[in-house]
Amino acid sequence: MLVLQVLANGLVLGGLYACIAVGFSLVWGVLNVINILHGSFIVLGSYVAYYAYTAWGIHPFVAVPLAGAVLFLLAYALQAGVINPVMASPVLTTLILTFGLDLLLNNAMLVLFKADYRKVNLANPLGVLDLGGIVMPLDRVAAMALALLLTGALYGVLSASRVGRAIVAVRMDREAAALMGVNVGRIYAVTFGLGAVMAGAAGSLLSVIFPISPLNGPLYLGKAFVICVLGGLGSVGGALVGGLALGVIESFSALAFGPEHALTVAFALLIVLLVVRPTGLLGRRGYE
Amino acid sequence: MKTLLAVLAALLAFPFGPAADAADKVVRVGAPLPLTGPLSPEGLKQKRGYDLWADAANAAGGIRVGADRYKVELVYNDYQSNTPRAVQLAEKLITDDKVNFLFSPFGSGATKAASGVSEKYGIPTIAATASSEEVYNQGYKFLFGTFTPNPTLTEPLSSIVKAKVPAVKKVAILARNDLFPLAIAQEMDKSAKKRGFEVVFFEKYAIGTMDHASALTQIKAAQPQWIFATGYINDLVLIRKQMGDLGIAVPVVTMIAGPAYKEFVEATGKLAENVSSAAWWHPAVRYRGQDVFGTTESYNRAFEARHKAVPDYAEASASAAGAILQVAIERAGSVDPKKVRDALAGLDAMTFFGPVKFGPTGQIVSLQPPVFQIQDGRPVVIYPEAIKQAELRIGVK
Repeated sequence: MLVLQVLANGLVLGGLYACIAVGFSLVWGVLNVINILHGSFIVLGSYVAYYAYTAWGIHPFVAVPLAGAVLFLLAYALQAGVINPVMASPVLTTLILTFGLDLLLNNAMLVLFKADYRKVNLANPLGVLDLGGIVMPLDRVAAMALALLLTGALYGVLSASRVGRAIVAVRMDREAAALMGVNVGRIYAVTFGLGAVMAGAAGSLLSVIFPISPLNGPLYLGKAFVICVLGGLGSVGGALVGGLALGVIESFSALAFGPEHALTVAFALLIVLLVVRPTGLLGRRGYE
Repeated sequence: MKTLLAVLAALLAFPFGPAADAADKVVRVGAPLPLTGPLSPEGLKQKRGYDLWADAANAAGGIRVGADRYKVELVYNDYQSNTPRAVQLAEKLITDDKVNFLFSPFGSGATKAASGVSEKYGIPTIAATASSEEVYNQGYKFLFGTFTPNPTLTEPLSSIVKAKVPAVKKVAILARNDLFPLAIAQEMDKSAKKRGFEVVFFEKYAIGTMDHASALTQIKAAQPQWIFATGYINDLVLIRKQMGDLGIAVPVVTMIAGPAYKEFVEATGKLAENVSSAAWWHPAVRYRGQDVFGTTESYNRAFEARHKAVPDYAEASASAAGAILQVAIERAGSVDPKKVRDALAGLDAMTFFGPVKFGPTGQIVSLQPPVFQIQDGRPVVIYPEAIKQAELRIGVK
């Protein structure tokens, strides 16, 4: 019973982790940009949901498109205006650039929203799902389901739409795509924007679960990193598998070795995996 | 004729002379604070407390030193929630900024780290947010703290639960692996065992933990009647939420330190109901102080006028650190670090914060920290008897 409950905890947590990592994986896999801004994007999504709820009573799950739209516009502008000019340089240049932008965004949020921890307190909480003694909080389950839906939609966009095929084409061969008439700069901006949409959506979904503060940005970013490396870069499935794996590993190591060692065990396994299978569990090139 | 001239000169000089002098005399107090980074909510609380004191002292004409009046000037340095940097900045404040006195950085860990610096330079230092005895047992002469040792929180709590809630037999303790949260959890362990409670779970969680479900699942399986969780506000908000997620309902839930802050109640809503806690001060205490703030009521009013909120214990303790320093300087009649240090060591004064008397280690020994509980969305005092506002309510769902 205890083991089943811990497994359920791990899977639900893993679902949330996957939704933290999907956008990060997309941007890293397609643009080869390690987007340090990702954690702050998630936090900004949470604030959009928080203010939409406190000001207009919009449920955070309904505020997902709003948070996505705000983040898309911000990210599109950042990529087109600031990041595109250095896209041809080595990966460290874009890393440092997004690091700097993250400092700006994070401190802007500190000034604007303060560091106080807040949380969306639903007037009508969703309650828990009781499966014969195994309890699952419905807000987490719903957030996970919505995140999976969005991830599926992203997969659909990438594999079926014109812009999605262009994104994949740019990922596979930038020069060839440009020769075929793809506007590479615009595709970069759209991809970065889509990554931010996923971050904003995740932030909105997580606003009912985790305390909200600009200080949580680095926490989310750290998780996204581990999940991408664990699951393998550049595939939607990789982020999903990596997230679920991390959730389950953390939960069981907390049970076996005590909560203080949950992260220790997760990172130790990560190192082992990097040695025996450097591409991650589902490592593949691009979103083919 | 000569006398007349002298009198005239004196009359002419009078309006300008002392005023010019007063403007020159300044007491500089340095405060390395975590104004950015994960501890910034705490750092900003301390800053609000210090600022309120400096403004009150200056509005009253400054600190009286013999016949002179000294203005207070606070020098803040942001250590970005990075303890080694707090130590560097404490040294910089003393050597570069030439501060006369120092307020410690936030919490027991950073206070202990920085206390060696002020000791080396012989600068009297007041710690507003350090309670763990490990901070004060280093044999230092220049460190004074406004928080009583951790057992003064866990002892009354355990006594009340023992007396009022006979159903409690088993206790589960979940602690953040950090100096103060772990130290108070260990005291809780002792206080509980002393009263015959069985401690069925005692685990630590790492700083930055984003999920407590596994630990809470184990706690649920151990079937305690009292859950005692320690950490800072973000940890405790998440732990309380996840307790609800897992359907954990027990007679008593105690959390330290967080429920005293209004942010905790706002972030957890109905889940905050009946959560008990203890802190070193509460706005409901009533003292008639000899310090610049006077009574507790007038302190509360001054704080509310400035910040549109009720002060919590961290903010009040920071103001108290300033008020105590001022009393000590005025009693020493000097800003000489050694003399002020001796005045602090021998102090026996009443303040808005409570009676102030430091023990041989420099830690305050005169306070009786209140125990309180969130009832109907606000913290009410359940101990000590003299200021009790309500009885302990049983049952946390």
